[in-house]
Parts: sequence; structure tokens; C-alpha cells
Amino acid sequence: MGLVVYSLDVLVYMGIFAIVALSLNLEYGFTGLGNFGKVAFFLAGAYTYAIVMERTEIPFYLALIMAMLVSAGIGFLVSLPALRLREDYLAIVTLAIGEVLRVVVKTEDSLAHGVWGINVPPAIHWSGMSVLESRMVNIGLVYFCLILCFILVQLMTRSPYGRVLRAVREDEVAAEALGKNRVKYKAQVFMIGSALAGLGGGLYAQYMQYINPYMFMPMVTFTVWIMVIVGGPANNWGVLLGAALVMLFERGARIIKDYLPLPIDPINFQYILFGVLVIFLLAYRPHGLLKERQLKTKAIEGVQQWKNRSSE
Amino acid sequence: MEESILRVKEVGKHFGGLWAVNRASLDVARGSITALVGPNGSGKTTLFNVVFGLHKPDEGCVYFNGERIDHLAPHQVYAKGIVHAFQIPRLFYRLTVLDNMLLAARGHKGDGLLNSVVFRQGWQAQERELADKALELLNLLELDHLTLSPAGELSGGQRKLLEIGRALMASPVLLLLDEPAAGVNPNLGRKIFERIELFRQRGLSFFIIEHRLEILFDFADWVYVMDRGKIAVEGKPKEVAKDSTFYKVYLGD
Amino acid sequence: MVVNWAQVLFNSAVTGSLYLIGAVGLTLTYGLSGFPNFAYAEFMTLGAYMGYFVARQLGLDFSFASIAAFLASGISGALAYRGVFRFLAKRGANKIHLMIGSIALGFVIRHIIGDIWGWPAVTFGISWPAFDIGPVRMTTLWLGLILTALVLAVIMHLLLTRTKTGKAIRGISSNPELALASGINIERVTLVTWAGGAALAGIAGLFRGAIAALSPLVGWAIILPVFAVTILGGIGSFYGVLAAAFIVGLAENIGVVALTQLGLSTEYRMAIAFIILIVTLILRPQGMAKSFRRT
Repeated sequence: MGLVVYSLDVLVYMGIFAIVALSLNLEYGFTGLGNFGKVAFFLAGAYTYAIVMERTEIPFYLALIMAMLVSAGIGFLVSLPALRLREDYLAIVTLAIGEVLRVVVKTEDSLAHGVWGINVPPAIHWSGMSVLESRMVNIGLVYFCLILCFILVQLMTRSPYGRVLRAVREDEVAAEALGKNRVKYKAQVFMIGSALAGLGGGLYAQYMQYINPYMFMPMVTFTVWIMVIVGGPANNWGVLLGAALVMLFERGARIIKDYLPLPIDPINFQYILFGVLVIFLLAYRPHGLLKERQLKTKAIEGVQQWKNRSSE
Repeated sequence: MEESILRVKEVGKHFGGLWAVNRASLDVARGSITALVGPNGSGKTTLFNVVFGLHKPDEGCVYFNGERIDHLAPHQVYAKGIVHAFQIPRLFYRLTVLDNMLLAARGHKGDGLLNSVVFRQGWQAQERELADKALELLNLLELDHLTLSPAGELSGGQRKLLEIGRALMASPVLLLLDEPAAGVNPNLGRKIFERIELFRQRGLSFFIIEHRLEILFDFADWVYVMDRGKIAVEGKPKEVAKDSTFYKVYLGD
Repeated sequence: MVVNWAQVLFNSAVTGSLYLIGAVGLTLTYGLSGFPNFAYAEFMTLGAYMGYFVARQLGLDFSFASIAAFLASGISGALAYRGVFRFLAKRGANKIHLMIGSIALGFVIRHIIGDIWGWPAVTFGISWPAFDIGPVRMTTLWLGLILTALVLAVIMHLLLTRTKTGKAIRGISSNPELALASGINIERVTLVTWAGGAALAGIAGLFRGAIAALSPLVGWAIILPVFAVTILGGIGSFYGVLAAAFIVGLAENIGVVALTQLGLSTEYRMAIAFIILIVTLILRPQGMAKSFRRT
């Protein structure tokens, strides 16, 4: 029974982080935006949800939407100065944003009790609910959201809009010369990506039922990046796979602690291994487990069929 | 002189104290093939970059159909009808040849976020039409057998052709071509210019930078010779070819 | 509230000195290799812990700790360049890949340190004699830091203007093709810059760990201002960093005064560096470097 509950726990984590990873894939995999501050938007969503649920009677689904809106809003503010910047400057700025936001919630006790953290009521709850039931409810909620997010990013990227995103990624000057307003596209992607990360944050907050600033370190951003790189940038199925594998590994490392005496603390070991793994992946398989597939719209399929027929 | 579709007026552009373009003025007549020639480093590409909006001029103005465009961003200049093809092709190498062409299309409804995600019917049909147009152009450029190949698999000459094909796909009013015949064999170069002439007859205007003078002069209506940022000589190709300044510019004093 | 401006000025010099020592390596390697090395924080942390090991665990004098920090970080800088970044670059990594790689490297180093020395903060346990000169209170540690920075500035200036390697660094930064053509061994210069830069980072980390507490996150604690200094000064420019370090130091210390006056937490100190960073990137992304004719 404990194993079932534990597996469900892993599944919930997978689902939440898959949403965040999909958002990063949209930004980086498809549009080439190196967002090194993902945790900032995750944090914003988590804290917005927590604060709203603590102080108001607003139902959870509206609180989640507010979390998304706040994250998108912060994404918009960040995008104003940041998106015109060169990729390394964008990385530095987004990284810095993550740190600054964390300091804000850590310091402003009036917001969410600073370092003491804030308790978050679970979204769906009834009296007498067992742990198993609570897990199942969360799986339902998280995976419902994940499916919606997945459909959204697939629709966005498997379309002419997705084609433009790829063009901006490949050569933004050429894309501009062909009439695409790169700032507009980058801003839209960044805001949607931020909103999705905020959704993940809100779901995380209500699942953990407690959040504090120390749960939003740059490690979170890094973990999400590994998911995208392992799974395959610009392949949404790949990113789902990446999220699953990374989470399994992370949770697995914690279990090993109880069964294998290692000379090294498993959590440290996990991150050391992650780091080395990422470097090797970048060197030998930067396109990840599932490669990017060519864009296929109905029109392109039509061309393909016509070609196949004419070559017979 | 016929009506001027593009007017460059006393444009200057400097980089760190060096004036790449120094008070250059010229006119491109509507429906013409106007050439911009000159030795390397004379500022031709910089002038093109100013026209299509990559750089803002430090001095002077650029007019298109009587409207000032020098303060516009490249995508806005594109919207006005000016399309630029780069000297070294800036293709989207990981995307297919067809994708590259479709991206150049003007007014693709699918470019909008809402349309792409929600109102999908709006662009499906349009994309089919655009694909047909793209295939037609690719056929003309003899690239149609590579339609679904990634642009990165094309040879140098083919990339050049695709760059031009993409620009044509954009339904331009004025096409800025930066060395369309560079790096391709003379036969292909001539073929390219024959295609250009074809499109000129359909109403397009061309402003072309080119080094292959022996081909260029057979097709151009008017030639501007640039030297160290300024326009040194201008006129019909036959006249310019006889002008002594022209030779001085190219061979050095 | 009466403000002791003399103290503020002195503190600015201390902060600026720390940032100067920390940023030199970052700006030069960023300029040479074309990407920001986010593991730089860990070069600082490593130096701090090496120094801690020597001073606290071996019980040796602080000067030995400095040497240990310098060497350990320097070697790791060289190893990082050769083993990670040059390796990745040769495998075709682009700028973003290199940045991700640097974050990955940072995690590896940080968690190795965390595993060996633990995550809770520790201190050097050295008591630095404090004294007053006029209205200003200072400690020997702070004075040592300022002195180190001054010596560094002089050495760097001489290095960049008098030695072959130094001139090569300037040459490569301003015109890579010409540098290659003129026969400079870019590979060797790059390696030396990475090693030297990291070594200096180690010293900066050591000082920071001695001044504040020491934890595996000590490098991260000051990485944001160090980046701000690098960007404000202009990537690749030592003289830019020289000026920017003290500007940021001054801004931070005046900022702390302002924060206290406004009743805000001094934790927001790092937000000052962040604001400088953002404003520089918006208004003048190339930093101050253009005003300096030299690198």
C-alpha cells in the first residue's frame, strides 16, 4: 500500500514538472529563448495561489487561474527589457529575476510569512479523506491540467505559428526580414510559458500544502532544463518522457538512501550525476532522446502525398 | 526618368567613427532593374541594410512610394512591400525548403496565435494555396525536387536560389537582391537574371547589388557606382562602362 | 538618523575591492570565450573552502589559506576550460549549450563541496583586529582586501600593457581574426586566462567567506553583483571592471543606507546590483568599455 501511495506521489511530481518543462520547451526548444529563470514564474504561481487561498474564499480553480495571470504578468514585465537582448544577456537577466523574486518573498513577511513559509489548503478535499484518495485526486487534477497544457503547446507548435517560432529560433534577423515581428512572437511565447509555469507552481503549492522560499532555488530551473535536454528540445512528447525519467531518477535517489549505504549523500550524488549527465548529453546528444520532428500541417502532408504519388 | 519607387536621400551611416555610407543619394525607378555596384567595402550592403530597416541611418532619409521608411523595423519595411534577400543566404537551415518558402508568404493567417490554435479552419485552405504557389516558384528555380528536404542539405548554389525564391514568394513590390549571382556558375547566374527579367515584366521592381558585371550590365536599366560610401557614377550600363571614373573606382587610383 | 558617510565610503571601497577581484576573471573569460560562465560562483566557493581547509582544519596562517585558494581555484579553472568548455565547444556546442554546461558544472562542484564540508554555514573562526581611524571603523581583513585589490589592479595593468600574454588578451578581445593571423597562441592565452581568472575568483571567495559566513552557496551570494560589475564595465574589459566594481560597491552601500532610512530590509541589497544590471543592459549593453581605449 505504501508503495502504491509512493508511486502516485512520483506521478504527481512528474505531472507538475512536465507542465513546467513543456513551458520551457515552448520558450527554448521552439523559440530559442534561453530562460534561465523558470523558477521565478513557478514561484510566482505557487505564492499567488497560496496567498489567495489563505486570504480569500476564492475557489481553487479561480486561484489557479490567478496564479497563471500573475505569472504571465511578471513574464510580460520581464519581457519588456529582456527579449530584445542577446541570448547570454537574456540568460543572465532571467537568472537574476529568479533570485530577486526569491529574496522578495523571503524578506516580505507580510506577503507570505517569509522564511516561515505558508500553509496551503489542498484544492480538492473532503473530511475523512485518506492519503490514497488525496493522491488520486491530485493525479486527476494535475493530469487534467497537463493534458490541457499539452494540447495547447501542440496546437501552438504544430501550426504556421509554430513555424514562425522555429524561424525566430533559427535566424531572427531573417525572420524579421520576412515580415515576422520577432519581439511580438517572443513576448507571446514568454508570457504563455510563464503562465504555464505559474500553473505548475499553483498545483505544486496545493499538493505540498506548504511552501517556503527555500523550495524555489535555482535547482528547480536546472531540473526543468535537464528534462527538456534529456527528452528532446522541440519535441513535446520527448519532454514528457524527459520529465518522467528525471523525476524517477530524483525520487529513486531518495529511496536508495534507505536501502544502499553510500559514502555520499544521495541528494548531493543526484545533482553531481545530473551535472555530469547534462554535460555529456550536451556533448553527445544535444537533441535529446526524441528528436525534433518536421512540421506537418495538412498542406504539407498534401505535398508529401503528391510527391510520393508522382515518384511512383 | 520614370516615377521613383525608392528614394535614398543623403543617407549616412557610421560604425564607430567610420562612415560606411556617406551622403549617398539615389532613386530606383518603378518597374526597373536598378544596379548598385562598387568595390568591396564601398558600403553597398550597408546601404541595403539601412533601406530594409536593419540599421537606422545616422543622416538622411529613405522614401518608399513617397512615404518615409527609414525609422521602421525590418518587419514593417516588409509590410510596405520591400523584401530583402541576403548576400550570404540566411535560410532556416533546420526547416524544409517548403517551410522556408511558406514563411516568406505575405499575410498568412496562421501566423497569428489565435488563428493557429483556435480558428484552424481559417488558414488550412490558405496554406494549401501558398504551398501551390511555393511549388510553382520552386519549379521555376529547379528546386522542386528538394521541396521537403531540410534547407541545410542544399548546395551553395541551391541555397542562393532558395534565398531568391523566398524573396519572390513574399509578393514584393520592390526586391532588394544582394549579389544574386554570387558563388554560382555563370550559366546559372545568367538564368537567375533571366528569371529576374521575367518578374520585372510582371511588375516587380528590382534593386540589385552584383559583382558579375558582365551579366548585370545586360539586364540593368540604370547603374549606380558606389565608392567609399558615396555614389561616384550613375547612368545607363553602356554609359557607365565607358566612364573613366568607373574604372578608377574599381581598379583604384 | 545621522549617516557616517566616511564609513559608507570605506565600506564601498571594501565591497568594490571584493567585486573587482571577483569580476576580473569573469570578464576576461567571458570576453575571450564568448559566454558567461555560471560556474564562476563555484570557483569562488571552491577557493573559500580550500582556504577554510587550510586555515581552520590544518590550522595554518591565513596567508597559506590564500595561496591554497588561489591554486585550487586556478587549477579547477584550467580543468573546467579544458575538460568541459573546450570539450563542449569542440563537439559543436553553441552559446546556450555552454551556458547550460556551466550551470551543470556549477552543480557538480557545489554538491561535491556540500558533500565534503556539509551545507550548514561555517566560519573561519579568526578574529580580525578592528580599529578606528577617525570616524571609520575597519578590520585588518577589510584592509587586506583593499590592499589585495590595489595590488591586483597594478599587476593587471602591467600585465596587460607590458607582457606578451597581456597584450595578446587585449588583442584577442578586440580583434580575434587579426590575433589569430599575427600568430598569438590563442589556446595558451585562453587557458592562462581561465586559470588566472578562476584563481582570482578563489581569492574573492576566500575573502567573502572570511567576512560573511561560509557555505556552499557563498559564491552564489555575490554572483549577481559580480555579473553586474562585468556587464557595467563592459565584457572583456579589465579597466571597465575596475571602474564598475567601485561604482557598484558605492551604489550598494549608499543603497543600504537608503533602505534603512526607508525601513526596508537590507536583504534587498542584491536588488541594487540587479537594477544596475537591467538598466545597463537596456541603456548601454556594451557597458562602459567603449570609453576606454584599452581593453
